[in-house]
Amino acid sequence: MQAEMRKQMLRTWRVGLLFGLALAAAPAHAFIAYVSNEKSNTVSVIDTDSWTVTKTIKVGQRPRGIDFTRDGKFVMVAVGDDDTIQMIDAKTQTVVDSLPSGPDPELFAQDAAGKVLYVANENDNTVTVIDLEKRARLGDIQVGVEPEGMTISPDGKTLINTSETTNMAHFIDTSSRQIVANVLVDARPRFAEFKHDASELWVSSEIGGTVSIIDPAKHEVTGKINFEIPGLRKEAIQPVGIGMTRDDKTAFIALGPANRIAVVDTASRKVTKYLLVGQRVWHMAFTPDEKFLLTTNGVSNDVSVIDVAAQKVIKTIQVGELPWGITIAP
Amino acid sequence: MTVRVLAMAALMLAAAGTAARAADPRYPDWPCTQAKVPEISLAAVWAGPSLDDVQNKWKDDAKVSALVAKLSARKTPLEEAEKLVKEFLAGSAADKTANAKLLFAGLFDTLNAQRSQVMSGLERVSRKQREAADKIREESVQLQALQGATPRDEAKVEALSNELIWKTRIFEDRHKVVRFVCEVPTTIDQRLFALGRVIQQEME
Repeated sequence: MQAEMRKQMLRTWRVGLLFGLALAAAPAHAFIAYVSNEKSNTVSVIDTDSWTVTKTIKVGQRPRGIDFTRDGKFVMVAVGDDDTIQMIDAKTQTVVDSLPSGPDPELFAQDAAGKVLYVANENDNTVTVIDLEKRARLGDIQVGVEPEGMTISPDGKTLINTSETTNMAHFIDTSSRQIVANVLVDARPRFAEFKHDASELWVSSEIGGTVSIIDPAKHEVTGKINFEIPGLRKEAIQPVGIGMTRDDKTAFIALGPANRIAVVDTASRKVTKYLLVGQRVWHMAFTPDEKFLLTTNGVSNDVSVIDVAAQKVIKTIQVGELPWGITIAP
Repeated sequence: MTVRVLAMAALMLAAAGTAARAADPRYPDWPCTQAKVPEISLAAVWAGPSLDDVQNKWKDDAKVSALVAKLSARKTPLEEAEKLVKEFLAGSAADKTANAKLLFAGLFDTLNAQRSQVMSGLERVSRKQREAADKIREESVQLQALQGATPRDEAKVEALSNELIWKTRIFEDRHKVVRFVCEVPTTIDQRLFALGRVIQQEME
């Protein structure tokens, strides 16, 4: 059955390829997005051409952090309650292996080459370092209490880890695996994102309701973004996920139960627009052509599609329960 | 038998204790693990034009108020409700924006009220449960005393343990129902948001 299906898919693909060659002006390339559904313990696969869920993959318990390997062959998903990271084969769309993380992995980051993976383990205050080729544990780094956000500098030399309890962004030297600096931000830092040119590090604070902009060379906060939505109480505005366009000119910030994405002009550091997406918007991912931005909305159980150039929500796709993270095939 | 009763009572009281700890100090009777949000704020679900000029007018429009009642009913599947919204607005022509505002104002009032009702019901049950827990705690102490007494009054021990079994069972059943009903305010939030989103999309 499966072999037959694969054969058929291959046939369809070949025919599609012929068509593609015949028609030089083929329609926009379709991408594949993977969404982790924290409550239903599944991963939804979305086709960005038809904007539909084409498959739902059963995974371990409490899937949250999710990312493609750099070669596009596997999707890694942290299944916190199973204390591991599962690997989904992107071809067969099934779970094929797992990686040795610490207890309760939530989020992870990989280096530019895709060789080393750093995993934030919420429960034991460590970051686990994993060799992705050998799929083996290289060691642990002791960090602040309850590590949350994880990102790596574009040059791969600095790992950033945010801690819920200390309210700091910890700068870790990836070669010595030592903390080299701590920068205090607002309450419950959730997520960190570098500008592509490495000039700034943006850290969202869920409870503080702000995004801190840090100079990564000086380890200093140089600015803060505040959000104001008339009619909404301040505690309903909880910044989490951050997405930055490749030219670093525009940032998109998910505001949790404010149900909105803030569009920020990075030069003036001002919010230019709020887009109503879905309930408890959490994380996001751009399609590789950067035409679309997809957001996960945890309470409305859906994914919103934003037209990046028009800065408009164009579509909503129902997924599993409590969608958390999202990654799109490179 | 009596050992089981005591074990059950202990288990149940532990559960009651957890509920008490989980509570937000502002809402001591709130029994759910989901945070209590007393009201949905308009801005969380609506980014369309101001509804200030609409207020209660939706009640005066027979068509709109009938549709609001239908869309707010949990027995109307969400998909069908979304379809009804689209059909209604598609048939509104020039009045589209006005009708859209009326419809959403109606949904907002109605679903918010529905939600408040469910929440106060939950708090009422939670108070009853606390009383029941106190009673069971008291009676299990009495039972222990009866069991330790010499001579032991077997008839009394039997009667009291039977009563404890019943009370424990009722408590547990209610506990399960509460957990289920705790999901309802969220379901209402989801419905209001989904319908609001369709209305706003149709207005564009």
